[in-house]
Order: sequence, then C-alpha cells, then structure tokens
Amino acid sequence: MVKFTDLITRKFQNIAGSRYEEILKAYEEFFLTEEEMVIPDIKSILIPLDRYTTTVPDEVYETISAYPNARLQLVYMIDENVCRLIKDTLGEEDAKKFREKEERRAREILSRMRDRIRELGIIWAEDTVFGDKSEYVESIAGEYDMLIISKHYGSETAKTHTVSPVVFRIVQYVGRPVVLY
Amino acid sequence: MISTGEIIALSVFSGVYALIMSEKIHRTVAAMVGASVIMVLNIVPWDKIPKYLDLGTILLLAGMMTVVNIAKDSGLFEYIAIKTAKLSKGDPMKVLLLFSVITALVSAFLDNVTTVLLLTPMLIYITRQMDVNPVPFLLAEVFASNIGGTATLIGDPPNIMIGSAAGLSFNDFILNMAPIAFLDLFVTVGIIYLAYRSAMNAHSNRSEVITLSIMSLNEEDAIKDRMLFRKSIVMIAAIIVAFFFHDKLGLQPAVIALTGASILLLWSGASPEYALEKVEWATLFFFGGLFIIVGSLVETGAIDQLADWMLGYVHTEGQAILLISWFSAFSSAIVDNIPFTATMIPLIKAMGNSMSTYPLWWALSLGACLGGNGTAIGASANVVVVGMAYREGIKITFGDFLKVGMVIMVATVGLGSALIWLRYVGL
Repeated sequence: MVKFTDLITRKFQNIAGSRYEEILKAYEEFFLTEEEMVIPDIKSILIPLDRYTTTVPDEVYETISAYPNARLQLVYMIDENVCRLIKDTLGEEDAKKFREKEERRAREILSRMRDRIRELGIIWAEDTVFGDKSEYVESIAGEYDMLIISKHYGSETAKTHTVSPVVFRIVQYVGRPVVLY
Repeated sequence: MISTGEIIALSVFSGVYALIMSEKIHRTVAAMVGASVIMVLNIVPWDKIPKYLDLGTILLLAGMMTVVNIAKDSGLFEYIAIKTAKLSKGDPMKVLLLFSVITALVSAFLDNVTTVLLLTPMLIYITRQMDVNPVPFLLAEVFASNIGGTATLIGDPPNIMIGSAAGLSFNDFILNMAPIAFLDLFVTVGIIYLAYRSAMNAHSNRSEVITLSIMSLNEEDAIKDRMLFRKSIVMIAAIIVAFFFHDKLGLQPAVIALTGASILLLWSGASPEYALEKVEWATLFFFGGLFIIVGSLVETGAIDQLADWMLGYVHTEGQAILLISWFSAFSSAIVDNIPFTATMIPLIKAMGNSMSTYPLWWALSLGACLGGNGTAIGASANVVVVGMAYREGIKITFGDFLKVGMVIMVATVGLGSALIWLRYVGL
C-alpha cells in the first residue's frame, strides 16, 4: 500500500516542480515574519531631516499619532562634508552662505513640523546638527526605539533608485525598527 | 474476434494507465513510452499520427501557458491575492467566500494549477494570522478551482479536449457549463460552511495582528513591472473577449491563444526563450502520447466495439447523460481525468451513430472536471494544494479530503446532471 504522504509528495513534485519555491520566494517580500509580527514598544522616535526631505507627508504624522506617549526628536542635518568642499573650492564666504541657507531651511521645516506635532499633543525636541548625515544618525539611533526617515534623505534619488544610498546604509546598520516614507 | 493489433493497443493502454495511476514513473514518460510502442509496432501508421494528435488542444494549452508565464512575472497574481486578502478584512466568512469566488473566476480562464499555486500561500498566511483551522479554506479553494475550470472551454484540460474534438465553441461552454458551475460554487461554499462552521470564528483578540499583517499589505508592492502588468491585463482581457467571438470570427480557440501569446511577446518585449522555456512541455508531451495511445484503440476498432457494447445497454440520451456523468465523475476521482477524457471522446463520437452526442459532451465535461473533487488525487489542483499544505505543516489526510470531497462531488455532479437532463431530455 502506497503511503498517502509519499504519493502526494511525489505527485506534487511532478506537477509543481520548482514553481512552488519560486512563488514562495516572491511572497516572502510581502509576508511579515514572526519577528515582525511583534508590535514594538515605542517610547522614543528619531526623525532625521535634511535638504532632500522638505515635504513630510500626512502618513508620517498618522504614524507618530499611533505613539502618543513617545518622545520625538527632530534633527535637521547639515552636511559637514559639503560645507568643507565648498570652503576648499569656492572659499569661506560661499561656505558660510551655504550654511546660513541650510540653517534657514532647517528653521522653516522644523517650524512647519512643530505646528503639526503640537496638534497631536506629543512631546518633542528639535536640533540642527552639523555633521556626517549617516554617521551621526547611526551614532545616536541606539538611544531611540524607532526611526522615521525619508527615502530621499542624504542624497538625490532617481526613478530607478527610489531609496537614497545614505538611507540604505542607515537601515543596514541601525538595529532599530525603521519606517521609510 | 480480437485482432493482434487490438490486443497490443489494449495492453499498451492498460499498462500506461496502470503506470499513471501508480505514479511510479512520471506520467509523461509513461505516455511517451506507450506512444513509442504503438508507433514502432505500426499500430497507428505514421501518416495517420496527425489525425489523432489533437493540435487544437496542444496548441491552445501552449498558447495559454505562454501568456500566463509572461503575465506571472509582472506580479499580477500576487496583486490579485493581496487585493482579495485585504477585501476580506480578516473575516473568516469573507475569506472563504472571496477566495472561492476569485479562485473559480481565475481558474475559469487560466490553468488551475497556476491559480492555486499562486493563491494558496496567501490563503495559508491569512488563516495563520486569523488563528483559524486552514483546512476548510484550502479545501474550498481546491473545489472552487475545479468548479471554475468546468465553466469554460479553456478552464480545464478535459474541456479543451472536448471542445477541440467535438467542435464546441467557447460560448457553447458558457451557455451550458457556466450556469452549472455558478450554482455548484455556492452549493460548495455552503457545504464547506456547514461542515466547518465552528472554524469560521476568528479570535476577537487577533484584530490588531490582522490589521498589522493583512491590512498593511500593499498590493501595489506586488507589481514588479508596471508596464508589463498593464499589458498583461489588456492582453488577457483581449484574449477572453476574442474567445467569445472565435466561432463568429471563424478562428479556432488555439489560434486565439497563440495569437494572444505572440502579441504579448511582441508588445511586452519579454524574452521568448524564457517565456517558452517555462511552457510545461512535459504536460504537452503527455497529451501527445495519450492521443496516440487512444488513437491506437480507435484505429484497431476497440473503441467501436466498446461503443457497440455500451449501446446494447444504453438506449436513450437521458440514460447516456446519467451514465457518462456519473461514470466520469467516479472514474476521474480515481484516475487522471486527462487520459480518461481522451478515452471517452472517441467512445462518445462512436455513440453518435445512434443518438445525439451534443448533451453527452456536457455530461462528460461535468463528470471529468467535477469528479476531480472526489479525492485528494482526483485533480492536479488537489495534489498541489494538499502538497503545499504538507510543506507548511498542515495535514490534510486522504480521509479528511474524501469525507468532504465525495459529498461535494455527489452534490455538484448531481445538480449538474439534473440541469443537463432538464435541458436536453425534459421531465
């Protein structure tokens, strides 16, 4: 008597071949793993911003509103390396102008976000930092439970590469949940 | 008196059938070896091979397989699966109904194995998130796939074979089989619900998990190539529309499928090597081998003798409808419905000398397609879903399947044969 499980396994292999593995692989991108199913306890959130992330969509505020007791840290990053490059090639005056322009942009973005966050009743703090965009975020990410970051943070993106390389690096290095917008 | 040729043809036929049933060797190998014996011994002369090799069936299957292979890479099927999952909102009853309807609908136009291969992983994932017994949902999917396949000319290989051999159009199938399939689908869902209603209650404390795991899925993420996705939808829709008019256009269904495949290859720029490599050549050679083996039974006169013997007992169309539908159903529950249909087609053709065969084709389609629901090995879709369930640690035993499958088979074939009887014989 043929064992039913053996018969099914043999027939399944004959009919489906390697197609099942290919399909499962495609689905892996969508299905949450057991680890991802655990809803993390979020008490602090870091939101890095820069010249490439001038618009923050409503979805980000909706996500933040899901954690009313979390402490929010907004950090506007000014690229230290770009400043140095301008100083070395165009001179100190242009570097100063660039920095002032960046600081003005930081004030505008943080002011816009401040109003929206205040409406949500969430405690927040804000800062403007002069440094390396990925290294700085990686160095402080451990102090927070979650990161919310734009796909365009750190560099220009293209149609073919919708996530900036700086974001790729941050996502790879920080051991914290990251929400990309 | 039985001739030597007849004895050889019957022996090869029985041997190949036994090998297919035992699954000791691949069914394609069995059919190819059998066909080789027939040709080497000249039971069917070489010049008559094209007569028995039903190119209408083989090319229609090849065309549709090519279309599916190209469309599959766009993420179309994953998109459908995610969309269905989200529409169900994690409600077990909605999951049962929506997945059954979508599976039946997709299976009516594309092949059943591909349909269940692509939808089952999503169904298993959802039932895990809902923390419910996945068995009724998987069984409903299998039954819906076989029922959906019954509805159209291109839904299931037996229908393709019947349509090609009997010259039936796509609309003939829509008019005769689609209403039966429609009613049978809801009867099936009802039976599954009654049999497993206790499993249809989701745990109320799972709502947060369901929201996170199902509602957060984004169907747009499934689209790997947006242009190909759009082109695939347009071409599949165009092919389906063309099927509705193929008889008016004077085109064989196989021509529609091959033309659709060619246009999609041209329009999408997909690699022909890749798209054609993924065509299930083993299945096509299996069909080819079978056609030659069954052709040997026709050539030697064995089929005519069997038909004469049957006509000694069956005198009216009504009797033939009942006999063919129920015999086909129980046979297809045990043996592969493709060789079974290949054998029955010349038999029904031979019966055409003494009665109208038109209603008999519907009886054969009904029995061959829905009979597959009877056992776990009755149809390829059953094997695929049960096999996938095993791999995911979900045990569906032969007995588990049989208990529900036989009830579904008897109910759906009973309802279908009653409708065919009422339509063609009357009270």
